[in-house]
Amino acid sequence: MHLEPFELHQPATLDEALQVAASHPGDFDYLAGGTDLLPNYKMRLNPRGHVIALGGIPELHAFAPEAGTFGSLVTLRQIERDPVIARDYPGLSEAARQVATPLVRASGSLGGNLLVETRCFFFNQSASWREALGYCLKAEGDRCHVVPQKERCYATFSGDLAPSLLVLGAEVDLVSFQGPRTLALDDLYDPRGDGIRRTRLLPGELVVRVRVPPEGRKSRSTYRKLRVRPAFDFPELGVAALLSLEGQRVRSLRLAVGGLETYPRSFPTLTGPLEGTTLTDESIAELARRVQGMVRPVHNTFLAPDYRKRMTEVFVRRALADLRGAS
Amino acid sequence: MTASAPLHLKVNGVPLERSVPPNRILLDLLREDLNLTGTKRGCDLGTCGCCTVLLDGVPTLSCLTLARLAEGAEVTTIEGLGEHGELTALQRAFVEHGATQCGFCTPGFLLAATALLRDHPTPSRQEIQEALSGNLCRCTGYVKILEAVEAACRTGLPAPSP
Amino acid sequence: MAKSASGPAVPPHPLAPASGKGYRLIGRRLPLVDAALKVTGRAEYTDDLKRPGLLVGRLLKSTQAHARIAGVDVSAARALPGVAAVLTGRRFPTPFGVLPMTHDETALAVEKVRHYGEWVAAVAAVDEETCEKALRRIEVRYEPLPVYDDPGVSERPVTEKIHARALRDTNIQKEVFQHFGDVPRAFQEAFAEVKVQGRFAGVNHGFTEPHCVLAEASPDGRLTVWSATQVPHYLLRALSEVLGLPLHRIRVIKPEVGGGFGGKSDPFPHEIACAALAVETGRPVKLLLDREDVFYVNHGRHPTRNLVRLAADEKGTFTALDVEALLDGGAFSSFGVVTTYYNGVLALGPYRLPSFRYHGVRAYTNHPPSGAMRAHGGTNIRYSLEMAVDALAERLGRDPVALRLQNLLPADTQTVNEFRITSNGAEACLLAARDRSRWRERFRQLPYGEGIGVACGFYISGSNSPIHFTPRFPQSTVHLKVDVDGGVTIHSGAADIGQGSKTLLAQVVAEVLGIRMDRTRVAAVDSDTAPVDLGSYSSRVTFMMGNAAKRAAEELREALAQAAGDILGEPPAGLVFEDERIHRDGSPEVGVDFLAAVHRAMEHRGALVASGSYESPPMGGTFKGAKAGTAPAYSFSAYVSQVKVDLETGFVDVKKVWAAFDCGRPLNPLAVEGQIEGSIHMGLGQLLSESMDYRGARLMNPSLLDYKILAPQQMPEVECLLVGGEDPEGPFGAKEAGEGPLIPVLPSVGAAVHDALGIRFLDLPLTPDKVFRALERARREGTARKPPLPGETREG
Ligand SMILES: Cc1cc2nc3c(=O)[nH]c(=O)nc-3n(C[C@H](O)[C@H](O)[C@H](O)COP(=O)(O)OP(=O)(O)OC[C@H]3O[C@@H](n4cnc5c(N)ncnc54)[C@H](O)[C@@H]3O)c2cc1C
Ligand code: SF4
Ligand code: FES
Ligand code: FES
Repeated sequence: MHLEPFELHQPATLDEALQVAASHPGDFDYLAGGTDLLPNYKMRLNPRGHVIALGGIPELHAFAPEAGTFGSLVTLRQIERDPVIARDYPGLSEAARQVATPLVRASGSLGGNLLVETRCFFFNQSASWREALGYCLKAEGDRCHVVPQKERCYATFSGDLAPSLLVLGAEVDLVSFQGPRTLALDDLYDPRGDGIRRTRLLPGELVVRVRVPPEGRKSRSTYRKLRVRPAFDFPELGVAALLSLEGQRVRSLRLAVGGLETYPRSFPTLTGPLEGTTLTDESIAELARRVQGMVRPVHNTFLAPDYRKRMTEVFVRRALADLRGAS
Repeated sequence: MTASAPLHLKVNGVPLERSVPPNRILLDLLREDLNLTGTKRGCDLGTCGCCTVLLDGVPTLSCLTLARLAEGAEVTTIEGLGEHGELTALQRAFVEHGATQCGFCTPGFLLAATALLRDHPTPSRQEIQEALSGNLCRCTGYVKILEAVEAACRTGLPAPSP
Repeated sequence: MAKSASGPAVPPHPLAPASGKGYRLIGRRLPLVDAALKVTGRAEYTDDLKRPGLLVGRLLKSTQAHARIAGVDVSAARALPGVAAVLTGRRFPTPFGVLPMTHDETALAVEKVRHYGEWVAAVAAVDEETCEKALRRIEVRYEPLPVYDDPGVSERPVTEKIHARALRDTNIQKEVFQHFGDVPRAFQEAFAEVKVQGRFAGVNHGFTEPHCVLAEASPDGRLTVWSATQVPHYLLRALSEVLGLPLHRIRVIKPEVGGGFGGKSDPFPHEIACAALAVETGRPVKLLLDREDVFYVNHGRHPTRNLVRLAADEKGTFTALDVEALLDGGAFSSFGVVTTYYNGVLALGPYRLPSFRYHGVRAYTNHPPSGAMRAHGGTNIRYSLEMAVDALAERLGRDPVALRLQNLLPADTQTVNEFRITSNGAEACLLAARDRSRWRERFRQLPYGEGIGVACGFYISGSNSPIHFTPRFPQSTVHLKVDVDGGVTIHSGAADIGQGSKTLLAQVVAEVLGIRMDRTRVAAVDSDTAPVDLGSYSSRVTFMMGNAAKRAAEELREALAQAAGDILGEPPAGLVFEDERIHRDGSPEVGVDFLAAVHRAMEHRGALVASGSYESPPMGGTFKGAKAGTAPAYSFSAYVSQVKVDLETGFVDVKKVWAAFDCGRPLNPLAVEGQIEGSIHMGLGQLLSESMDYRGARLMNPSLLDYKILAPQQMPEVECLLVGGEDPEGPFGAKEAGEGPLIPVLPSVGAAVHDALGIRFLDLPLTPDKVFRALERARREGTARKPPLPGETREG
């Protein structure tokens, strides 16, 4: 499968990258490890005329686990193998280890994982497959095959790292032609968007680095992933949880899920009230049920949506029970 | 530029300079341009591991790598394992333990396993499974592949690789 | 001077070592002869080949499931610079197919398309980019027709027949009725009866090497085709029929093949289309399918529904089996006639069944064609039958192993439909699996959520019916040649697809001649030099090719014994062949080197050649369909599997499989284990997660990401128990081990899940969401508990 011709840009600085992006509005993609972009290009999913490879920009490779700073080009392999991350942010380590396969993780980057293209049974198909059915909103078409309407795309956010970084309270440093800015990771994703417009990134905006605040280290964190096979498969559900206790009482508790909707989401309104309380089997179970009640998966992945919803309860409960047991 | 540009890389220890267009995939460069057909194409989409090569020592999917981005890299393909026509301990173990049947997945497994044993000379069975979990084999059920890797750990390390 | 080995008529060779003893190579764990090439990347597969002036071929997929082709405009594609040829179906419209009576495939769609992804046009051009551009410029006008995505609809009267040759006014491709004994009466008189209704998604072979073909028409009027095929000879015939070339002007070469499992055992449209492009352009053309195409051309295991009713008397002895099967054949026939029979008759072992009735239907639909896949026709019926046996054991309060033991066929018998059973290791298999698994301590006694289950298997060791040959030629022939260098060249038409048939040839020949295996070289397969062999399907290679090779080697040995006897002044009959020498039995010093004997034998004669062949003995009844399922031998098996189910998520974790298998004498235990382990992996895939996931006529998962082949972490521990005796007619007593090992793994795990949860799953695959839903229901209904322990289990 060859790729359609494109112009390849290899900027050495962020400025250069932004410059190239600015001169080809709407007709470029950034390329990190390429493990998401290139399969999509091979399937002719919105290929662009300009590919801006980021690998030559040194600061994107920054890797300082002790400081909790990770350049966007840090690979999943680096993350899963790093002893400091395993010690301080075990949930992140676990999440990285459960992405795809070791071969994908060798190239796949942190930034690419946070911005991985949303997925759908009707989208991740070859051009002729999609032509046969009729193209959909997300590529070349004007309707949706999952929820029949013409307004909104329900493609599923399927990155594994976002939930585990959400519970760590991660922030992302961004840069665009308008200059640098920092967003809470939670704010990078747009709950009012859809499977197509899923982030709040400005045109051409780049993820420079991810920063994890030091408080995360005092907490236990974990990541649990629902998938049919223990390798290859994107998450059908991913649950990240973080817990720290003060004596018996909860100092902080955070939960985030991915693989269910168009964006990864956390549940501060559910977890907040539990801070200061003592976690019991009942309160964990109740929380898990309420999280389940809030998520709305649709039928565009391998496993049935009602099942993925039910598993949300199980996975949340198990994750928290684990963390409580380990603290 | 959509036009070709020179690419420099070392393939199995031999420095090369080639003119390569931006949309050339490393797998195609190896198989079509350099005639290194030991690297296999099973899916072209990152889902089988048959195209695995070592890129600066790291097992990497050549079907998802732009050739031009391998500038300056050292690529090791299956043709680059072993020296002077001698099989590595791992290759020998694959032969002796029946770890290859149709053989189509074999180069990918060998490269992934070579890197594993270089970094981790005595992995547990679970670690071997994990490390090889990006490679599909439809013939062996993986059993003899795992046995071969374990046997290679016992008999000696693979020849030092790049 | 070719000899034919045909069943029991052949006496053991006078020089053969006493059975079971004295073999140097037979029975040893030998690596594959081509393993060194494979671990160095030097083995050549079709896509590795290049020819001067090579063009790239590509095919245009249909975007309709069922439609009349109103017109195809290829002018814009043809006009594109770099395009050498564009073909549509009308250029070579002759239908072909693997079975002579059901030719319904064409190189490219002619009048209409019958499934998404069917190929409508073919392009040859200088490179892939140009091919793709050309494909985009081809305009096909379709007139949509009613789409049939359900064999249940296809078997009834329809408004649009998918093929004119479908039966009556339906889309039925093949219908089978069989009745032996008196089934209705047996059910009337039965003490107990059980009914099981199974539903099976289609599955694909999932070999790692996508189909690939290279064709070249040379100026001397010959066509050469290299292809990743299991059946070079059938391909040659199909090419001849469609392209109108005489057989002798076509040469088929099979390079290394990256797995087949039945998925490369038909002649395929892309092979013919590629050859047609080569003929059209006069240049070599290579055509590699992408993975999506591999799923569309499919020919995988049929989506199946079946209904099994089993009756028994008060002692638990089976009295009748009644089977119905409805197979989704997809768009074409392929092996369908055989599949339809197999889905009934392969239930007739290993149990004694005094009466049997079968109604089987294979219906065309607008799905990609189904065909033969490892343990062809024997897998889905076996699942339902073994589930029925388990259900019967439960009904009768019997131990499932004991009930099975009680009902086994003996050796040297005949089934109710006149299958000739010779060697039969079913009992040894059951006992070994039971004892090794500590069945009595575990069955029904593991905690809720964990379970252990047993199932038997039975499979043909080579189909007795050669598909094409009437009058009968041998099914397999092997030629040997030795020249002054003393190397033995083995010519065979049998296709090594990774299962190790080349190794087997070398091993058998070297054993008979007392030489080292590296003195042999296997030339397989080039149709110009290889004698005809029907190919690698129906688990026929070890038995048939093995026997042919043995006969050929024995013929060569006679000539060499004569020569050595001349040199030594010894009677040839007293000579022994070992360690590359030929010497007097008991006195190695009175002997000559192998090479010296070769040279003596060559005097005034030149290179030595020998030929051996195999033809199966006449067998089977005379009723319609009597030949289906007849084989010169059958493999038997019994597996016990242990599982643990996550009660909250429905994930089934298969912990261990004790795989007892009777393949006669295992010629190479290392290779047999490899077949068993690979079969278990493939069978578990079908059981747990693999499925051709259709929504209507559309395949939702034509990729290795969404078609879920098991990862290494999912493989259970496997204990192979090779317990067979010797088969009287197999080469050195061997039978098949390539397909049969797949069969029992599915029902043994199904039974283990039942033991774990008290739920019998009859709808495959057992994806976690399905298991979860069933568990929920059981919990609601208060049935989520272990089934009762039969007293007999512990008394055993
Ligand atoms: C077989 C297979 C299985 C997979 N399974 C999983 C899985 O289980 N879980 C999972 O999470 N992912 C999975 N992936 C997807 C992918 O491999 C990972 O998400 C990976 O982390 C993506 O990183 P990358 O560097 O390769 O991204 P790329 O492909 O380079 O980029 C992905 C997207 O992010 C954009 N981008 C990348 N970096 C930046 C940046 N710094 N600033 C702005 N935009 C940027 C790109 O433009 C592109 O749109 C799988 C992929 C394959 C092929
Ligand atoms: S959810 Fe609808 S619009 Fe979005 S990718 Fe799927 S089919 Fe297309
Ligand atoms: S060919 Fe690269 S992973 Fe399959
Ligand atoms: S040996 Fe055939 S796929 Fe692994």
